[in-house]
Amino acid sequence: MRTDMQPDRILHTDDLTIGYDSDLISGIELNVAPGRIVTLIGPNGSGKSTLLRTLTGQLEARGGCVYLDGRDMSGMNVLDRARDMSVVMTSSVRPRMMTCREVVAMGRYPYTGRFGKLRKADEKIVDHALELTGSAEVSDRFFDRISDGQRQRVMLARAICQQPRVLILDEPTSYLDIRYRLDILNTIRTIADRDSVAVVMSLHELEPAMRISDTVVAIGDGHILRTGTPQEVFEESFIRRLYGIEGRDISLLGPGPWMEGERTVPVGQDASDIHGTGARAIMIQGTMSGAGKSMIAAGLCRIFAQDGYSVAPFKSQNMALNSYVTSEGLEMGRAQVMQARCCKREPLVCMNPILLKPTDDSGSQVIVNGIPVGNMRAAEYFRYKQQLVPEIQAAYDKLAGMADIIVIEGAGSPVELNLKKNDIVNMGLARMTDAAVLLVGDIDRGGVFAQLIGTLDLLEPDERARIKGLIVNKFRGDIGLFKDGIEILEKKGHKPVMGVVPYLDIRLEDEDSLSDRFSARTKRDFDICVIRFPRISNFTDMDVFEQVPDLSVRYVDDPDDVGDPDILILPGTKNTGGDLEWMKQQGLDAAVISYARAGGVVIGICGGYQMLGMRISDPDGVESGATVCGIGLLPVATVMNREKTRTEYIGYIPAWKGVLEDMNGMQVTGYEIHNGVTALVGRELFDTEYGDCVPVPDADPSECVYAPDGTGCNRGNIYGTYIHGIFDEEGVAPRLISLIAAHRGKNIDVSMMRGHFDESEDMYDKLAEHLRACLDIDAIYGMMGIVRP
Amino acid sequence: MIMDNKRVTSVFILMSVCLALLVWINILTGSMFIPAKEVIYVIMGKSGNEMWTNIIMNIRLPRLIAAIVLGGCLALSGYLLQTFFDNPIVGPFVLGISSGAKLTVALTLIFLLSKGRNIGSFGMIVSAFAGAMMAMGFVLLISSRTRSMSLLVICGIMIGYICSAITDFVVTFADDSNIVNLHNWSMGSLNGINMTQVAIMSLIALLCLICAVCMSKPIGAYRLGQDYASSMGVNIRLLKVMLIMVSSLLAASVTAFAGPISFVGIAVPHLAGNMVRTSSPSVMIPACFLGGAVVTLMCDCIARSVFAPTEVSISSVTALLLVPVVIWMLLGRRKNAD
Repeated sequence: MRTDMQPDRILHTDDLTIGYDSDLISGIELNVAPGRIVTLIGPNGSGKSTLLRTLTGQLEARGGCVYLDGRDMSGMNVLDRARDMSVVMTSSVRPRMMTCREVVAMGRYPYTGRFGKLRKADEKIVDHALELTGSAEVSDRFFDRISDGQRQRVMLARAICQQPRVLILDEPTSYLDIRYRLDILNTIRTIADRDSVAVVMSLHELEPAMRISDTVVAIGDGHILRTGTPQEVFEESFIRRLYGIEGRDISLLGPGPWMEGERTVPVGQDASDIHGTGARAIMIQGTMSGAGKSMIAAGLCRIFAQDGYSVAPFKSQNMALNSYVTSEGLEMGRAQVMQARCCKREPLVCMNPILLKPTDDSGSQVIVNGIPVGNMRAAEYFRYKQQLVPEIQAAYDKLAGMADIIVIEGAGSPVELNLKKNDIVNMGLARMTDAAVLLVGDIDRGGVFAQLIGTLDLLEPDERARIKGLIVNKFRGDIGLFKDGIEILEKKGHKPVMGVVPYLDIRLEDEDSLSDRFSARTKRDFDICVIRFPRISNFTDMDVFEQVPDLSVRYVDDPDDVGDPDILILPGTKNTGGDLEWMKQQGLDAAVISYARAGGVVIGICGGYQMLGMRISDPDGVESGATVCGIGLLPVATVMNREKTRTEYIGYIPAWKGVLEDMNGMQVTGYEIHNGVTALVGRELFDTEYGDCVPVPDADPSECVYAPDGTGCNRGNIYGTYIHGIFDEEGVAPRLISLIAAHRGKNIDVSMMRGHFDESEDMYDKLAEHLRACLDIDAIYGMMGIVRP
Repeated sequence: MIMDNKRVTSVFILMSVCLALLVWINILTGSMFIPAKEVIYVIMGKSGNEMWTNIIMNIRLPRLIAAIVLGGCLALSGYLLQTFFDNPIVGPFVLGISSGAKLTVALTLIFLLSKGRNIGSFGMIVSAFAGAMMAMGFVLLISSRTRSMSLLVICGIMIGYICSAITDFVVTFADDSNIVNLHNWSMGSLNGINMTQVAIMSLIALLCLICAVCMSKPIGAYRLGQDYASSMGVNIRLLKVMLIMVSSLLAASVTAFAGPISFVGIAVPHLAGNMVRTSSPSVMIPACFLGGAVVTLMCDCIARSVFAPTEVSISSVTALLLVPVVIWMLLGRRKNAD
């Protein structure tokens, strides 16, 4: 709320940014009128004290200005400032051998002469302040020998002695019993009313904050979340969310603003009918797979986040080969990870409680809340999934407790009529979460009218009612030409069209391997060849390279297509043994070997790393149970076992040799997700136990650089690692390409390359901008019951 | 300011009486016995005995004035540093400031002596001040990086050790003839101070005392901590610079004339504070100066009379007498904290 036109203000800030070493809160616009009490509330560490310290000038503003009676405080003389503003802080100073009266008299500092001698009038003011705060009785006692409560009153008396026009108090009632608390609060109210002192303070106790304040400012999550009268701010669900106590047993707290009470919800309709919590839900459903749901959802996530809402993505069930490992070591779909980043949030497994990873044509590994529960055939899963409804509900509730808006993504089409029973991903989920639904059609693939109108027709009436708007996605050409199309859709579908989204060539993370990245590409100046395993996984590892225009990333499954690339990558796979057999059948193993013997750079990641070794044995039958000989380029061997490694990795590239020697010590971040343990093969074993598995000639184990922590093994120009995302960190991929280009006598410009994460940030903003331009965002807010000012 | 005025007055009277008494004792004691009556004659300028006049006017009197002035300087320096660091166990010696001054003085001394020239009082003070500021600079550098007071003190002690070690190196390579001289000085001694030096040190002491008195108002507010002081209108930067400059100059002049004298800077402000029972700077500044004078004079008296005619280094005496005070103070603080 900007109140520039308000002349009656003694303290105000203009676009203030606060923080210590980095920006904590920015864009703060605070206005305090004389005689008003402004209270800051929010959890510990939210920045209340930082803001107060900036207001008092103890901490320099990182941007913007604080004005005291219209004067920029940073340029003010300290004495002038002291005559207008006084401060009581939480820090406990305990000067020795100083009587309370001396402490209070210090408040006269800005008014006394050279040697601080008190005049009669000063003495009177001191007496009065002592009385007002009820400190007269301790006047002659030493300040360090009285109780905390008494000390706080004395410090307040001192601040009053300064005869300020603005009084700043940092948690003035902390650690005090109710009597002292009452004294302090009464004194504050008195001087505000009687002497027209403007008070800015932080309070932990919400009850008094509600009663004493004229204005309440709620700070949390690095933002000023709400500013307004106590009635406006103390809304039960907001307070619970502010302090992160939603869904907790709060009976010990007793009655307070965190309890449902007489107050009303300020914005939109009553929040209580939206599934128990205050979060609003919007769901994106598509007419088919690949209609662009993920992208629209991601863009909306970013738009809402940009508008200052707390947003979270949700998709009940993902089917994808690529997964991500959260900081808790749990597995989830990458689409929601990307959307979480759009929301500027840490990805959490509750954003995607169910993940299905196809292992072969009819079966999948089922992962619930990040942990694999087993492999299931389609029919088996169809029966099983009913049990997962409570899991989905719990995950959604958890998420709804921490966000204002949940952007839900559907899966496939909502009208797969044969599978519609017990639906938990589309309309079933919309019903569970009481979400407004946007239906997205893909005009690029044709038949958009049939897609949208047909889908609407096939829905049950109550389901159809949930659909609040249509979106036409992937439009190429002049949108003006589609004006009639919009009219027809609105007329026949009886639903408003929210917008037509032009085709956007943007590389967001792929949901699954059903994407078009594998379509053949021509070689460019710098060529990366990736073996296209039938069960390829985590191929997003290679995304970072696609920023370079003169670089091609080709996915090949035929040895004739390998050619002479600059890098040959063996990516991850869902089934190392199976895909290794497939390579041998295709003759790709020979192609890899001959490329490697010619000195080419071969990089194996995860499954690819395991394949580069001597042998993969599978005593527990995790895959096929058979022992398979590896390609034999690296002197390591892998034993598959049931224990799955799922960790985030933050570390350094070990002592690599060969062409990439200069990458040693570069920081990399990524994650490991694999079955099996890979260990170095000693030279003795090499000749005997691995007799069946023949190493590639001149594969000398003594030359191998091996690190057991997942960074893997390197010999010559052959590199094997378990770290997915190893190229994503800023600087890693450009260095890799430059080194190899130099080695091969090529010249390639990699200056445009950025770390994968930074690049993504730009892309999310670009996507949001794109959607803002073509969608009616206010109408979408309206569907959720949010009225934008 | 509100304080127990009666108590403060009686403390000042007591200290003055002690000082007068100690002056009298000091002027009487020495390797040569001089009758009290003769001493009075000498001071009144009526004595005919040239040797006695010489001993009293050129040896005993300068020395006792030096003890008074330098003792006062040390205690005042300690008080200002304690205020600055808000820490009762710092002092010029503990923070390595005295050692820094000692190092530069030793270097200058040896350099000039090797060239066959002598160093004047002024040169001594300048080089000591340079050393004190250098050590202070290190301490400030450390204090800007840590808020831990114990770490600060430990670093100060380390700086002291480094400076002492370098001084020892230098002394090892100095000419034999200089070593004795240097050794005596570096142990701390008021021996051999003349009237000119006394005049110079008194001038510096007076200057610093005036500065300190002028700072008493902001120092008073500074007792509530930097943040509160600033909020009440204290120019913190100016105050800090002044505190550093004045306390370093005080410590430097003491070291230049008498070598490092330990613990007076820590213990006296504490003793004085306990006697006057107020931390008000307008009381503490004169009380510290006077207290420092009394203690140092007493210690010097002990240093030269206990094993007479052999003289003990004054630093040993101050350490012996004042370390228990410091320990008692630390324990007392501990009890208050609990």
